[in-house]
Amino acid sequence: MKKTMIAGSIGVTLAMAHGAATAAPPADWSKVEATEITLFYPGTSPMEWILGDVRIDRVRHGGGRAFKQGDTCADCHADETAAMGEKIVTGEKLEAKPIPGKPGSIPVTVQATHDGETLYMKFTWKQPAAANSPKLDEANPVKVAFMLDAGKVDMADGSGCWASCHGDSRTMPEASDTKTKYIKDGSLAGGVFYDLMQWRSGENKAYNGYVAEERVLNEAGDKLSAEGKLDGDTWSVVFARKFAGGEGDVTLEAGKAYNFGFAIHNEHTAGRYHHVSLGYKLGIDADGHIKATKQ
Amino acid sequence: MEKDDTSKSRSGLFSQLTKPTARYSLGGLLIVGFAVGIIFWGGFNTVMEWTNTEKFCISCHEMYDNVYQEYKETIHYNNRTGVRAVCSDCHVPQDWGPKMLRKIQASREVWGKITGTIDTPEKFEEKRLELARREWKRMLANNSLECRNCHSFTSMDKEKQASRASRQHERAVEENMPCIACHQGIAHELPEGMTDDDYFD
Repeated sequence: MKKTMIAGSIGVTLAMAHGAATAAPPADWSKVEATEITLFYPGTSPMEWILGDVRIDRVRHGGGRAFKQGDTCADCHADETAAMGEKIVTGEKLEAKPIPGKPGSIPVTVQATHDGETLYMKFTWKQPAAANSPKLDEANPVKVAFMLDAGKVDMADGSGCWASCHGDSRTMPEASDTKTKYIKDGSLAGGVFYDLMQWRSGENKAYNGYVAEERVLNEAGDKLSAEGKLDGDTWSVVFARKFAGGEGDVTLEAGKAYNFGFAIHNEHTAGRYHHVSLGYKLGIDADGHIKATKQ
Repeated sequence: MEKDDTSKSRSGLFSQLTKPTARYSLGGLLIVGFAVGIIFWGGFNTVMEWTNTEKFCISCHEMYDNVYQEYKETIHYNNRTGVRAVCSDCHVPQDWGPKMLRKIQASREVWGKITGTIDTPEKFEEKRLELARREWKRMLANNSLECRNCHSFTSMDKEKQASRASRQHERAVEENMPCIACHQGIAHELPEGMTDDDYFD
């Protein structure tokens, strides 16, 4: 009887563990399609600047009109992100206070797969040389975050995360220290939000949240997990996200593509001092710049 | 009475000019006329072309000390192919008629030189926006004619351009945009004090 009860409780535990979104990536990631995406340092380039509505240091974004006419950021800039990052990080444009030695770009390998219930995302990159930049986040040497949109956020299809980046958000020049990322006309209740997932190296833990009227980010529950490690000079972080999310989560479905963007906060940085991607499509058994095919 | 004298004198000069000569042969007159014509026309054009040289433009310290120094840092001065666009390539039309008009307009610069309107860096900076506005207006009105003397959409291999440039140029063709609409300030620093209306992009 006792043996039966023990076996039963082990079975329930295993079943629960199976149901939870613990990072259970494929055994062999080398079989998963890899996409190289170069993140770059964006300096102060909020969405208002991307649209060409404002000038920063007298410079207007020359592609503002093109963007408004339907071009995506990646259409024009996908092959020059490293050069853009170098220009910005050195203060040639869009950065009034350059940090010497800070990398202009970080090449990242992105892989995605799923098992019908959980999406697995793996990010791999080499740790850039130290710049000894100010430690804005003492607890976390590195953070990785990605955002998804199911077509509800205005301009997310062209810009990835950029629709949440504004000139009055914290760490932007002369902005309030308390104002977070947000999206104009964002509404969690109305379904207009970015789904935000983050991994923090300090705790080696996932945080789950969203960006709507403001950014909300909390320790992840059972819908999301993430685990990362530094092997030599190479970081790898694997996220596991249940298809069926909770509040502030985009419900994922096979056969659909989502607007996708991601960022790395390198060397204890926070706020705008991250390296970011342009906007891409993540296809789950569907076309996209990054394809998550079923394992 | 005076009126009659003047009238006689005019009719005398006119009659001299219209009266067939009995002294010189037609052939001689033609040869001399042809030679004088060549000397005059050749001399005129030589002087005209001389005023189009970089050497002439930077012989004034107003140009040498200010805009020339900025231009030397740009791709129009120094580039991998070794082709240089000098001042007149961008600021003077190539065709004879428009070139003459531009030269006549530019004659006011002589007056500026004599009166010293931009003879110090401070005076130049003070006037830079006014001068730039005048030039932008001209380049906008003539559909960036001087740019198009060297650059043409038909000879651009957009496959060899960065995606950004390629897409922007395709759009420029569709909308018949002048080059200056996007490439303002490509060879000189943008002036201080520009208003939003001064920017074309």
